[in-house]
Amino acid sequence: MSHQHVAPQHNNGSEHGTVKSYVIGFLLSLLFTFIPYVIVVNQVVTGTKLLITILGFGVIQAIIQVTFFLHLGRGPKPNWNQFFFVSTIAIILIVVGGSIIIIQNLHYNMSPQDKVKKIANDENIYQVGGKETGACKVIGKNHIVVIRNGEVKPLLTTTKKCDTLSFVNNDDKREITFGAHPNHDVYAGETELVIRKGRSKTITLSEVGTFQFHDHLQPGTAGNFIVKP
Amino acid sequence: MSEHKLSHHEEEADDRALFGFWVYLMTDLLMFAVLFAVYAVLHGNTDGGETGRELFKLPLALTNTLILLTSSFTCGIAMIAARKGDKRQTLLWFGATFLLGLAFLALEIFEFYELIHEGHNLGSNAFLSSFFVLLGTHGLHITFGLLWIAVTLGYILKRGLNRHMVRKLTMLSLFWHFLDIVWIFIFTIVYLGAFV
Repeated sequence: MSHQHVAPQHNNGSEHGTVKSYVIGFLLSLLFTFIPYVIVVNQVVTGTKLLITILGFGVIQAIIQVTFFLHLGRGPKPNWNQFFFVSTIAIILIVVGGSIIIIQNLHYNMSPQDKVKKIANDENIYQVGGKETGACKVIGKNHIVVIRNGEVKPLLTTTKKCDTLSFVNNDDKREITFGAHPNHDVYAGETELVIRKGRSKTITLSEVGTFQFHDHLQPGTAGNFIVKP
Repeated sequence: MSEHKLSHHEEEADDRALFGFWVYLMTDLLMFAVLFAVYAVLHGNTDGGETGRELFKLPLALTNTLILLTSSFTCGIAMIAARKGDKRQTLLWFGATFLLGLAFLALEIFEFYELIHEGHNLGSNAFLSSFFVLLGTHGLHITFGLLWIAVTLGYILKRGLNRHMVRKLTMLSLFWHFLDIVWIFIFTIVYLGAFV
């Protein structure tokens, strides 16, 4: 059997392992696989806590395998492999984390029904396949509510169904939501109107009744509107 | 040609090759990260269909995880043998790695087949699209790795173990360990995550 001199003393710039390191890595990985598995199956914790728990175990196991299987960090300095690995992780955190943050903000507070209702209302889709959606077919007149220095003028707006209501904000960014503070009601699919300084947002009044609205950021700024049939 | 102690030039060439391969692995990692991001965003979009919680079988996923983990271990032991120049042990341990990898792939294909057979396929909804693309990409990598192992073992059988083969094997083992690390996150985020 040819036993060629294959491994020079110099470690080729890559890191090598011993049987011991592989066994330790293997056993630790087994442990960090079974623990989160058991936790999930038995629902020892739930919700966000559970998510963070299993992610934590996953990250630690990844570090274990990178250390004991890939032997990262044990080569001669400067360790370029390590540098590239850390840079890649940084990029990943930005790309993945950023994507998740962006999408979270889109989904904020909107149930699927709200979304559908809002779209129908915005686009005046009053019927689908012969069935009425509740959205308006013909738009009436526009009413304007002006918010300045925390004051709402007029405090009460009386409208007719299928009129529109415009909120004009002359103060710093406001987040107008419906109902009385601390409630966040939904009106015709609208959950929240974020209105920056000097801008306005308009909603179609497709629901009849008496309604309140307030600024989620400064609940003292509030008003009402009536929608007559 | 008899083996000779590595010249400085040859050592540097090896270093560069391995480093280049490592950089490739990092770009591969980035690609997987993007697929994970897509899955994270879309896993709730089932279009009214079943969620992962209703479709995934955790015992099966755990079995696959253990199989792949063990194959990563056998791969490590194989590399020690390869560096020692032990041809028989190298073939044995890489052979074990291959068989375990094959078992993993077979189980995964079986899981996919069952899902598709029941009507849960890549076109069903965004959740399943991102699921199949993420796991499918990983599975394709495993398949390629298996082919790589098979071809390399064939070479070693015919032409024996030498420094060049060891360098190739080193890259192969890096690749294989990398795939197991990616799977940790698939197991955690896709399978365990479905039951959160």
